[in-house]
Amino acid sequence: MFKKPSSQIALEQNNEETEEEQMPVEQASSDKIETVVGPSVTVEGDFASEGDIVVKGTVSGNVKTSQLLTVEEGAKIFANVKAGSAIVAGAIKGNVKVAETLELTSSAQVGGDIDCKTLIVAGGALLRGKITMKGFDVDQFKPEKKISLGRPKTKKKASKTE
Amino acid sequence: MYVYLYDNFLRQKKFASTVKAMETRLTDYGIAGKIIRLQNFSDTKMIVDEELSKGATTIVVVGNDETIGHVLSRAATCDILFGFLPVGPGNDIAKVLGIPVGEDACDVLSRRRKLRLDAGWMNNRYFISRLHIPPSDIMIEYDEKFEVSSDKSKLELVVCNLQPFTWHRKNKKDWVVHPQDGKLEAFVLPIIKKGLFGRVKTEDPSVFPFEEMIVSSKKPFVVEADGKRSKETRVKIRLAKSRVEMVVGKDRRF
Repeated sequence: MFKKPSSQIALEQNNEETEEEQMPVEQASSDKIETVVGPSVTVEGDFASEGDIVVKGTVSGNVKTSQLLTVEEGAKIFANVKAGSAIVAGAIKGNVKVAETLELTSSAQVGGDIDCKTLIVAGGALLRGKITMKGFDVDQFKPEKKISLGRPKTKKKASKTE
Repeated sequence: MYVYLYDNFLRQKKFASTVKAMETRLTDYGIAGKIIRLQNFSDTKMIVDEELSKGATTIVVVGNDETIGHVLSRAATCDILFGFLPVGPGNDIAKVLGIPVGEDACDVLSRRRKLRLDAGWMNNRYFISRLHIPPSDIMIEYDEKFEVSSDKSKLELVVCNLQPFTWHRKNKKDWVVHPQDGKLEAFVLPIIKKGLFGRVKTEDPSVFPFEEMIVSSKKPFVVEADGKRSKETRVKIRLAKSRVEMVVGKDRRF
C-alpha cells in the first residue's frame, strides 16, 4: 500500500508462534521496545522511556530510563542523564547518574558529574567532573593510634611527684 | 444474531465461489445471518447502531484490510462484538489477528475467542492497523513532553497499532518491531535525498512508543489511516485502550 524503495511496511512470518500460543495476552505483549533517536533527529524536552533507549542523534533535555541507555558515537546529549545502566560512545554535557554499570568507550566525552556503581573507562575517553561510586567504605576506616617510642607521659608525672 | 457486512468488491465473479463456500460453512455452524452489502459511502456506524437496536449480537466484517478499516474507523464506538472474515488480497490485519483468509476463517468465528483490542484515535476517527504520513514538513510533539524534529527538512511518519513494522535494510537483516499492547509505536523516517521518479531515500528510523502525539505543520499534509486518506494541518493521535472487542484466532501475533 505504501510501497517505497526505502521504507516498506510488511509482516514477518513468525515460525516460532507455537510457544506463544499458550501465553496470555498481557505477558506476550509486555515485550520491551527500544526507543531510538535517529542520527539526524533532534529531541527537545524531557525524554523518558520504560524500555531501552538508543541515542544516535541529539537530545536537548533530560534523559531518563530504568533500563539500558546507549549513546552511540556522534550522538550528543545536553542535559542530565539517569539510567539503569549505560554505554556511552558519544558526548554528554550534564550529570550522569547510573544505577548499575556505566561504560565509557574510547570515543566518549562526558562533561559532568558521574554517579554509578561500576565504572568502565576505555583508553581515550574524555572526562571532566566528579565521580561518585556506591559501595565506597574508606570513610568508615579509623586511623590507628599512634605508637610512641618514649615512656608514657603519665608515668613521667608519677615519677616527678615521688 | 449475526450480521454480515460484505464489501462491495465481493460482487466480483472471482470471489463468488469463496463467498458461497463461506456461507455454506456458516450455515453448517448455525451462525448464518443477515447480509448487508456496503457501498463506498455507507455510514457504518449508523448501520451497526441500527442492527444493534434490532438485536444483533455480532457484527462480522467480510472483506479485506480496507473493509475492516472502513467499518471500525466509525463503528469502534459501538459496544458490540466484531468478527472478521478475510477474503481476497490485501489482508495483513487478518494475519495479525490470527484469522486465515477464506472459508477457514469461519472456524475461527465459530469458536468466538473474544479479545479487547487497542485502537488508535486520530482527530475524529479510529484506526486499527496503522497510520502513515508521507514525507512532509511536520513537527511532532510526544505526550506533551518532548518535540522531535530533523536536520533534514522532511519527515515520514508511520504509527503502528496492530501491524508490525519491518525495516528493510540493504545487506542487513530486516528489522522487525512487534507492537506492544498499551502503547502506540511511532516510526520517524527523515528523508536523506530524493531520487529519480519520486523515489526517496530515508535514514534509519527513530522509534518512539507513545500514548499521545501531536503532528502539526504550516502546510496541509496527507494522512493515511487504515488506507483512508485525508489532508490535515494538525493531527492528534492517541491510544484508545481496549476499544474494540473482536473475535481472534489462536495464532494471533500479540
